[in-house]
Amino acid sequence: MKMTPIYEGSHRWIMFGRDTNKPSNIIDTNQYIVRTANRCLLMDPGGIELFAPMLAAVLHHAPVEEITDLFASHQDPDIISSLGLWDQALPKAKLHASSLWEGFIRHFGCESIDYVGIPDNGGKIKLESTELKIIPAHYLHSSANFHIYDAEAKILMSGDVGAALEASGAPIYVDNFDSHIDHMRFFHQRWMPSNQAKRDWIERIRKLDIDMMAPQHGRIFKGDNVKRFLDWFEGLEVGIAV
Amino acid sequence: MTDTVQQTKSQFVAVASIAAELSAVMEVAKEISLAAANAKAIAFRAGEKARGFQPITDFINELAKETITLVNAINEHALLLYRLTVNEYRTSTAFDKFQTATKMAEGAQYQSSLQTSTEAVEQRMRECRKQFKRHVGQLLDQLQEVMHPARAARVIAANSRIEASQAGEYLLSLQAVAESVDRAAQIIHNNVQRCRSALNVINITE
Repeated sequence: MKMTPIYEGSHRWIMFGRDTNKPSNIIDTNQYIVRTANRCLLMDPGGIELFAPMLAAVLHHAPVEEITDLFASHQDPDIISSLGLWDQALPKAKLHASSLWEGFIRHFGCESIDYVGIPDNGGKIKLESTELKIIPAHYLHSSANFHIYDAEAKILMSGDVGAALEASGAPIYVDNFDSHIDHMRFFHQRWMPSNQAKRDWIERIRKLDIDMMAPQHGRIFKGDNVKRFLDWFEGLEVGIAV
Repeated sequence: MTDTVQQTKSQFVAVASIAAELSAVMEVAKEISLAAANAKAIAFRAGEKARGFQPITDFINELAKETITLVNAINEHALLLYRLTVNEYRTSTAFDKFQTATKMAEGAQYQSSLQTSTEAVEQRMRECRKQFKRHVGQLLDQLQEVMHPARAARVIAANSRIEASQAGEYLLSLQAVAESVDRAAQIIHNNVQRCRSALNVINITE
């Protein structure tokens, strides 16, 4: 599992992904942590297959007792099917995930972890002095979907928005936006169901100060590529299967 | 995959087989109860000719009720075994993954912090195993118990045939009742034996 620090400030962001030992028939995923002095938030911790390498990688940055928070952008198995294992590994932790999906996500096993339901209008996660905003991203692609915005680091963890389907071992950052479009187009047109939801999300996201947009699949967008992505996404017809 | 994870998979299959067999036993017990009601009606119509048959019908009905009660209790126990199997599967999978993660985290600053969780999950896994073993023993006893009414039903079926032979024109109807009780008792006996075999397979693989 490759570990890439993407922000160093009063707290740290680290991206985990590009696992070379991952079975080839499961989709590659990016996991992120936010590490403060004594706490650690794990975002979209991944599927069961990924649990052991992910936990091993996180142990380079935090002891299990300081992994106090998990966040699931939505209910998909590649996002949170490892929950039942984290549930047994973490002595005191909270899972921040949609209230709407609670009864579904609990099927993965959630007995000792405290499920903190996120209402439809979002909320916040406070890790010591670091405050992260939970931004609604409903229907992008899941009917109850959220992203995480860190105003200090200026990072948006954008879940499946900005995702790309590429061969394993792709670079961490988008280097050439125009050529990257080919890896993103089908994913967004087919997985994202609603043009109305897309426009609403873009309008809200444009008001945020973002240096980096970090999706759950594919590469991270930096600087001007964030704006390029929003412009491209705005003009894209989604929900093409019907 | 560890032996423990493989073991829990066998347990899932065994517990599912037991549930299926018990469901069939329940159906058959209900059929016996219906047969008893039919027999009672026939015996009532036959009057004096089936005097000896009348108390037998009550006895058949009692046996059916007893079987249904026992099967309900066994079903609850089988459900508990299923829950224990789920817990054991979860804990053994977690134990397996924690050990893998510990190896993969060789050299990581916080590798040793996983030790407490690994020990705790191992303890829970052992506790599940212990409880499962204890409940398998209890379930085997209950299955032995449900064989008693099945055996008694076969004896009653034999008596019923004798009583039926004195029932004149009702002979065939009452003989049919006796046959149906006998057949049902045999089915219960066979299904319960299969439950016991399924449980014994788990015991052997331990």
